[in-house]
Amino acid sequence: MLEHYMKQGSSYASHIDGLVWMIFLMVGFWFLFAEGMFFWLLWRYRKKPGEKAAYFDEHAEHKIKYNWVEIPHRLILVCDVALIVGAISVWTEVKISMPQTDETVRITAQQWAWTFQHAGPDGELDTMDDITTVDELHVQLGKTYKFELASKDVIHSFSVPLFRLKQDAIPGRVITGWFKPTLAGEFDVQCTEICGIGHGIMPAKLHVDTPEEYAAWLANPSHYLAYHY
Amino acid sequence: MVSVRSTLVALALALTAASGCTELPASGVARGQVLYTNCEQCHGKSGEGSTLVQAPPIAGLPAWYIEAQFLHFQTGLRGAHPDDVEGLKMRPMSRTVKDPADVKVVAEYVASLPAVKTEATMGGDATKGQAAFATCAACHGADGQGNPDLKAPKIAGQADWYVVRQLTKFKGGVRAYDPADTAGATMKGIAGTIPDEAAMRDLAAYIHTL
Repeated sequence: MLEHYMKQGSSYASHIDGLVWMIFLMVGFWFLFAEGMFFWLLWRYRKKPGEKAAYFDEHAEHKIKYNWVEIPHRLILVCDVALIVGAISVWTEVKISMPQTDETVRITAQQWAWTFQHAGPDGELDTMDDITTVDELHVQLGKTYKFELASKDVIHSFSVPLFRLKQDAIPGRVITGWFKPTLAGEFDVQCTEICGIGHGIMPAKLHVDTPEEYAAWLANPSHYLAYHY
Repeated sequence: MVSVRSTLVALALALTAASGCTELPASGVARGQVLYTNCEQCHGKSGEGSTLVQAPPIAGLPAWYIEAQFLHFQTGLRGAHPDDVEGLKMRPMSRTVKDPADVKVVAEYVASLPAVKTEATMGGDATKGQAAFATCAACHGADGQGNPDLKAPKIAGQADWYVVRQLTKFKGGVRAYDPADTAGATMKGIAGTIPDEAAMRDLAAYIHTL
């Protein structure tokens, strides 16, 4: 359902959506159950002609309290455990583990631009054929990328909704992560940490290219002559 | 009977008026003055600049130069180099002004502001700088007042830190990186003849005294 509003474009996007969906269902169920029960009890034990409104107190029978408090309580705890297991599983996959990667891209944030250092034709960073772009990230469909994220000034946040990826960039630190694009096209990158007056105008474009498109982009001689944006 | 919709519209207008939002004049320097409020965050209310955010003093610079540089930032001729930290700040801000006519009126407003003298911060030797300034004078004039025919802006009195920073950028190709920036290309060649940063500081110290 979430994919209806925002396409899933990375290998782990569906896992994050699944987790969000699981949280929504469990929290939603208990919210509706608790509110329904609350209003039903208000109506069921309301004041009637010749009869005072009834309510539970410390003198209520143990069995009644057990049924209405203890059982839902324990069921919610079971749900909590399920959510924690799901969350840790996804967190470990996305943030903790680092799979075998095909290439590394260096991402530098500053007020108010993104700089992307691509490995170039040789697939290695910090060599002569690196391609550095501003506000334009090119990646190849199906390849697994490691990213190295840094900031030149204040805290920014690298957000790619298509990937369901969001990672803060902290001055003085290089934060690593990974993604594997699974959907070709042109998509949005946006800073999602208030970073100054230009925060709202700090977008970038993500191009997920097919191998042919990526090869054509690499071969563009303008990368090696001047900066064109 | 007053409809709910009319009431809400009246309420919205009242809240807008109470918020302090300023009405935007249709044209002229007055319009430029209102639009300039976006620039104040970095360049200051009087165009005095800020060393804190590395925004240069711009008050009193010629309108043609402000407009030209604004358009350069918009089109990527300036401020799009990955190593141009300050330029990359100005680039998105320039793109918030969509209408070229608005760029013109903002430039006219900035040009109308009285030039602001800044404190010298780089410790250069103005006497040494004066000797080296002969090369600059060919385009910018002996008094540093600039020459629009040569696309050379006024530089007299400019903040020394900004002059050093720009000379460094020209020399390193961080500014005038695109051949389409013809005036920048000239400046890039000249900056390349300055031997080192000490010479740049001396030059900036002299320009600051003009």
